[in-house]
Amino acid sequence: MELPVLNEQPASKGGCSASSCGTTDDQLGHLSDDIRAKVENHPCYSEDAHHYFARMHVAVAPACNIQCHYCNRKYDCANESRPGVVSELLMPDQAVKKTMAVAANIPQMTVLGIAGPGDPLANPERTFETFRRLSEEAPDIKLCVSTNGLALPDAVEELSKHNIDHVTITINCLDPEVGAKIYPWIFWENKRIHGIEGARILIEQQQKGLEMLVAKGILVKVNSVMIPGVNDKHLAEVSKTVKAKGAFLHNVMPLIAEAEHGTFYGVMGQRGPSPEELMELQDACSGDMNMMRHCRQCRADAVGMLGEDRGDEFTLDKIEDMEIDYQAAMEKRKVIHEAIAEEMNSKRAAKAESANLHAQAEKLTTRPVLMAVATSGQGVINMHFGHAKEFLIYEASPEGVRFISHRKTDLYCSGDDSCGDGESVLQVTIRTLEGCEAVLCSKIGFEPWDMLEQAGIMPNGEHAMEPIEEAVMAVYKEMAAAGKLDEAKAEQRATA
Amino acid sequence: MALKIIDTCVNCFACEPLCPSKAIYKAEAYFLINPKKCTECEGDFEVPQCAAICPIEGAILDSLGVPINPPGSLTGIPPEKMAEAMAELQAH
Ligand code: SF4
Ligand code: SF4
Repeated sequence: MELPVLNEQPASKGGCSASSCGTTDDQLGHLSDDIRAKVENHPCYSEDAHHYFARMHVAVAPACNIQCHYCNRKYDCANESRPGVVSELLMPDQAVKKTMAVAANIPQMTVLGIAGPGDPLANPERTFETFRRLSEEAPDIKLCVSTNGLALPDAVEELSKHNIDHVTITINCLDPEVGAKIYPWIFWENKRIHGIEGARILIEQQQKGLEMLVAKGILVKVNSVMIPGVNDKHLAEVSKTVKAKGAFLHNVMPLIAEAEHGTFYGVMGQRGPSPEELMELQDACSGDMNMMRHCRQCRADAVGMLGEDRGDEFTLDKIEDMEIDYQAAMEKRKVIHEAIAEEMNSKRAAKAESANLHAQAEKLTTRPVLMAVATSGQGVINMHFGHAKEFLIYEASPEGVRFISHRKTDLYCSGDDSCGDGESVLQVTIRTLEGCEAVLCSKIGFEPWDMLEQAGIMPNGEHAMEPIEEAVMAVYKEMAAAGKLDEAKAEQRATA
Repeated sequence: MALKIIDTCVNCFACEPLCPSKAIYKAEAYFLINPKKCTECEGDFEVPQCAAICPIEGAILDSLGVPINPPGSLTGIPPEKMAEAMAELQAH
């Protein structure tokens, strides 16, 4: 891929803890203090906060005003969630009750999002009614909304009246000709408009909406779906443009396209990017703009932390019977949030300390290595390999440890014993870990151990319950000491 | 003269607020059009609004019973291609 190398980090940020050594802390480095304060404990932006806090979505917005080639309208919107999943549609009343029930029972839940299944702003009554009531009745919950942008300019005024923490706009292109390959039509001024003309209007509205939100002081995050051969080369420019206009985060997500989803891309055989291609693009954009790498494309109605889904505990009939005293819950939540903030601060301080020590130590000259980590939260290695539904990918290098991305193991597979091509779950998992050279987990069985080794990925269960960054660095140093990092990776693979 | 919604409707609610005649309502299983109220948007809009926003091919029929959005017209997936992909999935 021909992409400009833009990954220069400012070197002047109080040494190593602020720029190259930290994980995503450095991603927040360029933000102004007030924005920084806003995002620091936010599960969607702050890599360490999302080990402690959680967000949830409610599906109150079924209608959509455009068609995307990665979406099948028989299911949820693929823009914020996985295709092929149907959420339970809620009326605003039910959504408010569900949100408060979850908040009362899972105090870590601090952010409520409306993302679908259609476009929230194409359902203004349902979306705004939910926001209005939650702003009043549960003021300690931050609200966020995702949109394709078509109806955004008209909604900015109303959005600014609620407790809105940020708005996510999915922007896949700036060029209508690229847009026509992604959006077959839009519904605009009482007509369906196809092709380049439709894409042109959509792009104009997105950019206008972005500018208006920034002018109002509302935080804007931009999501892009990376579609190889369609917009992959174009996204570095998108990144540059939206940053210049004041978006504070850009998040590139991989296209997920399988024939069984019945989407245009799935059926026509358009492939998604490999984990490596995605990482390369994210790296190319990151010098250009703050990239968010820990987005997990959570399901539109998921409840819980780090990819877990506790939605079953909060189905409509169950919340129907729940009595919630939100005032009492809010007090309890406050105490817990303060305790978490304290723990996070002490961990952050400890991390800065160890980064400092690391900076003083003799520098290695070895090559960087990707490692996968199985965790269920709290920033430690605490998950059994076989139970992990997703892995956190870290890069270890002489510069330190940095968080790269999440990789889900069940993206392509429903979790039965075998997937379409007769691949076992284990094989799929190993394929997900492509490019990694070690996987850190609390425990691992014999069979996966052997298969991982054969695939050139070293399993490691020796760092159970240890903080992730420290463990990753320890393993990296072991690898360096064993002389595994001297030869080029390609050669090592070939002989493995 | 009236349009008709059939059972492939996915209950997305998109058509309902657009109808100038308040002819569309949510029924037990899916949305329906009250044929006594539907004007086919004549006098209000150039094109029938429900059919102009509905994302599901085949879900809305004209007064002759012909789908207003035939297969392939909204997703851009050629019907042969869709049939092929589905046959392949079935075979597995
Ligand atoms: S054609 Fe027009 S009047 Fe008839 S149901 Fe559809 S939107 Fe309503
Ligand atoms: S727009 Fe189409 S799919 Fe949606 S509710 Fe109306 S008829 Fe059903």
